[in-house]
Amino acid sequence: MASRPAAAREFMARMAASPCCAAITSDQVIEAAIASRVAILFVLRTDGLGLEALIDRIHGAGKLAAVHLDLVDGLRADRTAVRWLARAGVDAVISSRGQLMQAVQREGMVAIHRLLLVRHGLLESGFAAVSRSGADIVEVLPGAILPDVRALLPPLRVPLLAGGFIWTEEQARAVLAAGAAAVTTSAQHLWNMDLG
Amino acid sequence: MAERTAPALPRVFVASDGRDPVRLIDPRLGVLLRDLDLFALQAAAESGRRLLAVDLDSVEGLNADSAAVAFVIRRLGIEFVVTRRPALASRAVQLGALALLHVFAFDSTGLGRSLDAHPRAAGVGTVISPGPALAHISVELRARIPRPLAAYGLIGSPERALTLLRLADAVVVPAEQGAAMAARMPRR
Repeated sequence: MASRPAAAREFMARMAASPCCAAITSDQVIEAAIASRVAILFVLRTDGLGLEALIDRIHGAGKLAAVHLDLVDGLRADRTAVRWLARAGVDAVISSRGQLMQAVQREGMVAIHRLLLVRHGLLESGFAAVSRSGADIVEVLPGAILPDVRALLPPLRVPLLAGGFIWTEEQARAVLAAGAAAVTTSAQHLWNMDLG
Repeated sequence: MAERTAPALPRVFVASDGRDPVRLIDPRLGVLLRDLDLFALQAAAESGRRLLAVDLDSVEGLNADSAAVAFVIRRLGIEFVVTRRPALASRAVQLGALALLHVFAFDSTGLGRSLDAHPRAAGVGTVISPGPALAHISVELRARIPRPLAAYGLIGSPERALTLLRLADAVVVPAEQGAAMAARMPRR
């Protein structure tokens, strides 16, 4: 538990130094991500019950691993699954479930609360939920629209991550300029770009 | 068999929670009723206003099921039904409404999966949320979205709405943009 602030600090520092993170949407792209210059892999699709070897492989390449608890196969998004991910050596957990953020932090991992941008009427409740959750990072989707909607969003006290529909260097730079600390993308050609 | 002919989609809908009288909205614009309760929905529908749409999944007191679809179309006379449920979209078309399957565009993987579940039947179009995402969807993926297509949510200005109308058949704008959009509409 005591390692959490250090873990969060290191995660933020790696994100700041290398603000393009790899979104892993299938096992087929993991090697490309490991071989690229990204510092953090966001694992969205894989077998959540067989993660140890993958996490070891990512760590062996000197990179960090964030796992999306709501999307990986085999795990229910609850506190037991959070402990499972901690045992597998995961560095950060992403979830839309704010009530799990403190459990993630208690296990020494970085808590990333995913916020879906839908429409004006849902923004207030969405941001209230991320404020309450105490997450270390907020990820907004779809990230590509951040430059369009930044003015509609309230200020946040934690770093903002943006993912979804980010295909080009121009889009990635626009999203970073709009206030995102980093972007997540499955576009492999961006994984080797210096967006810092 | 359709019970009536589905109407043509207006280019602009104004989102309304029913608190302001819908009869005050420019009659050339559609009105999307959302985030309201069953009584407010009924009152808006009985106001005589035409070009009404309802976001079926956001009406307090209304279960999003087949009976609700029949109620809003047959009893309330609502012409456009927005729903996240493909089966209800198909049912709405059978009853003579134009249905719009509400699809969320957060990333390409999720959008692709949602489009796989689209009924792709005549009379079932698509609403994409949030609206500005439409501009970032790849040409290939955009070509897979069944028309008519409306962009809905987080459209921050009339200028943005007009830009999105190059890609979509309709946009849903917040109430405060209604007058500005009406001013840009051709006079009848």
